[in-house]
Amino acid sequence: MSTPLHLAVVGHTNTGKTSLLRTLTRDTDFGEVSARPSTTRHVEGARLLVEGEPIIELYDTPGMEDAMGLLAAVESLVKPGERLDGPDRIERFLHSPLATERFEQEAKVLRQLRKSDAALVVIDARDPVLAKYRDELTLFAACARPLLPVLNFVHSPASREMEWREALARLGLHVMVRFDTVAPEVDGERRLLEKLITLLDAHRLPLERLLKAREAEARERMAAGYRLIAELLIDVAACRVMVKHDEEEAIRRQVELLRERIRQREQACVAALLKLYRFRPGDVDMAAIPLVEGRWKEDLFSPDALRGMGIHLGKGAVAGAITGIGIDLIVGGLTLGAATVAGAVAGGLWQVFGHYGERLVGRLRGFRSLTVDDAILRLLAVRQRWLLAALDRRGHAAIEPLRLEAPDVKRWRTGPLPKALQSARQHPQWSALNEGFQPEAAREKAIAELAKQLAEEPPTP
Amino acid sequence: MSRALTPFESRWLAEVIRQHEAAKSPLEDGDLLPQVLKAPADAETRILRRAELIGAREGWLAGITTWREHARTTLLILALIALISGFGAALSVMGTGERPVNVLWLLGSLLGVHLFSLALWLIGMMADGQGGGALLGRAWWWLSDHLGALGMGRKRDAVIGGALLHLLAQHGLLRWVSGAISHLLWLIALLGALVGLLLALALQRYAFIIETTILPSEVFVELTAALGWLPAKLGFAIPDADMVRASGEGLPQMEAARRAWSSWLVGCVVAYGILPRLLLWAGCQFLWMRGRSRLRLDLNLPGYAALRARLLPASERIGVVDQAPSSLPGARIQAHTAHRGQAHLLVGLELGGDIAWPPTGASAVSYWPVVDAREERQRLLEALRTHPPARLLVALDARLSPDRGTLRYLTELANHADATHVWLIGHEPRDAERIGYWHEALQSIGLPPDAVMDDEQRALHWLEHGS
Repeated sequence: MSTPLHLAVVGHTNTGKTSLLRTLTRDTDFGEVSARPSTTRHVEGARLLVEGEPIIELYDTPGMEDAMGLLAAVESLVKPGERLDGPDRIERFLHSPLATERFEQEAKVLRQLRKSDAALVVIDARDPVLAKYRDELTLFAACARPLLPVLNFVHSPASREMEWREALARLGLHVMVRFDTVAPEVDGERRLLEKLITLLDAHRLPLERLLKAREAEARERMAAGYRLIAELLIDVAACRVMVKHDEEEAIRRQVELLRERIRQREQACVAALLKLYRFRPGDVDMAAIPLVEGRWKEDLFSPDALRGMGIHLGKGAVAGAITGIGIDLIVGGLTLGAATVAGAVAGGLWQVFGHYGERLVGRLRGFRSLTVDDAILRLLAVRQRWLLAALDRRGHAAIEPLRLEAPDVKRWRTGPLPKALQSARQHPQWSALNEGFQPEAAREKAIAELAKQLAEEPPTP
Repeated sequence: MSRALTPFESRWLAEVIRQHEAAKSPLEDGDLLPQVLKAPADAETRILRRAELIGAREGWLAGITTWREHARTTLLILALIALISGFGAALSVMGTGERPVNVLWLLGSLLGVHLFSLALWLIGMMADGQGGGALLGRAWWWLSDHLGALGMGRKRDAVIGGALLHLLAQHGLLRWVSGAISHLLWLIALLGALVGLLLALALQRYAFIIETTILPSEVFVELTAALGWLPAKLGFAIPDADMVRASGEGLPQMEAARRAWSSWLVGCVVAYGILPRLLLWAGCQFLWMRGRSRLRLDLNLPGYAALRARLLPASERIGVVDQAPSSLPGARIQAHTAHRGQAHLLVGLELGGDIAWPPTGASAVSYWPVVDAREERQRLLEALRTHPPARLLVALDARLSPDRGTLRYLTELANHADATHVWLIGHEPRDAERIGYWHEALQSIGLPPDAVMDDEQRALHWLEHGS
């Protein structure tokens, strides 16, 4: 199919046609959306592209506002004794003066529908099945184009989906699609495209291309999201601060500084994830996630946050004022695996002095290093993964609060930390939060490995 | 910039821009977009094209070329230094030939540092595979990066070197680059040493001896034979056992022995110095070049993911194809003052099935069943025409949207009644906006705001009593 598929998006006024188009085109500024009825009064088009090639041309139409009157008018145009079928009647109407006066808006819709290969009929599932809606569907059907009803707002409590299904079936429309432009389903777009494929077999190939492209896009986005989380975890795990262990005041200050740095780093990750999914502050579909204005409600270091995720502080952590920070004694920190030592020695004599030397010197001068406790790493992993999963599903109305007993969450709560994180702890130069930060190949490898691990477990819904 | 970028340099430039945008804010590229979108529809191609255009504008393109020049210059300088120091080291180690030369000690001096550095590199490669042990490679890198600043006092643009480092590190190529440089420099040094060695052997007269305090001389025979195994395979002559023993006894040396030892020395330098370095250099160079040709941008990096969405848009607008009409004919209630009717009628129009009809408080009022279909509407109109009511209360479902069809019918109904009010049923507090639209729509057909009610009691009260 070299010419793109022409689809008209039709329906009663205020059913969400323009919103549907915005979702399909990923163009958040297409047309004009408002709760005011009769917002769209022109026909506006957009092309869906795959690798620069147009696959579908979508046309947004004005709402049908006087279908009952129009149907009556169309019937009156048929002279007694004449037998005209649907399309002929519509043609006669479009050529009559009615099409330019009283029913000009409806004429635009029907004209566009006649020019298209098929139509998406958007229905507000919350509305009762009134006579005027049935008349509307009769008029659409008379245009002799394949129709795919799209039931919008199905996730609203006022939805009357079953009534509509029955009414549509009575009109011979048995294939339909559930949608919700406000709280979209996980695979709402995919289902819509799949149903279009069943309806329009001749256009199967380009539609499948579009489907595959959209799926690939979603996968790539998720991979990028996991990478962001992996980088956050590496940066936090490798972060360390030196303190002189005798002065409690200095320790407290350094602890606060370290915490603040970690909080900001987490916030940067959250902002990056939101940007990746083009989340806008006004979107209402994030009700289930405790983000307030793009920030986590629970402070990372509060005991509630840890408790809420079912994570317990490690034995080495000191409770109370410096919760969440593990004091990593130099002695403990220097028990390295043989490979690391060899690598360090061979890896450049000055590098050895660079970080271990600092610690050796520090030990001699009575310093300790503060690092972030494992519990905080777990908390970060769990809640960022949850955020990513929620963004991927964009506020599915049935999104449940995080289930703590899901096997993958349990793994992060109680299992051993991944190797990549353990080795990050031994490489302070891997953390962008530390001063001696150096982008190394080993760091990139660790991030890639960790991202793969994060992605392997199916995240909680 | 007349020279076009190689594919690798393109990706390097893209990485420079990505890092810059990650550290600061995204660069302005609106005016470049049309050109970028003309490039083939592949994410990487478009990102590279954008990078080229921005790089030319911001001066990074020139920066990359400069960096490469610096790198080349540094390599040249270091190679020269290596050559000269190798040559000089060989000459100084050989001495002038006045005293007999301790041949094993000589070999150790010529090859010792080289072998130690080689061992470090090998250990480094086996331990973490990142080639950190290529010390000369690191020195070359540092100098290349800082040459501009050192030489001409210009401020070093750290992002260019940093981006290259990051790019190479990510694709595991840094170890090959630094390894290749390191091995190359050592190779040149050893070649210099070889030249010096040959020169010294050619123009001066040396006597080769073996000295020891504690080891038996047999050890040296075996050692010489073992070390000489590889040179022998390469075609160099090596001293036999008698010559070795003779060298250990301080007797005046025979011509054949001198020649044999010289050949052995040169052979060892070639076999254990030049050959390994040559092979390793070739290996690293090959892996580096292969990796470079296979290098592609990692599109999962955060900066590229966002760019991809912009440069490979999912849709493009076609625009308005059928203009909105400037205005649509609207109905309006005709005003009339004749008090024709006496009845008070309650009518429900297009009410949803969940709304209770008749309403609970309407026991004393005459009402019609819910009107929806065309025939029902016709019937109601007929009834109103024959018996026009004094007061007509029309109940509407406030959850629906006001549309022209409903408004037109309302107008037709109101034209028959003396006074018409509308009662909006079925709304909830959250639909305040929708109520507003209803008020607007009803006003446009001529119903004033006080004629629109949403309270059941007030509405029924008006119907019965008129106020």
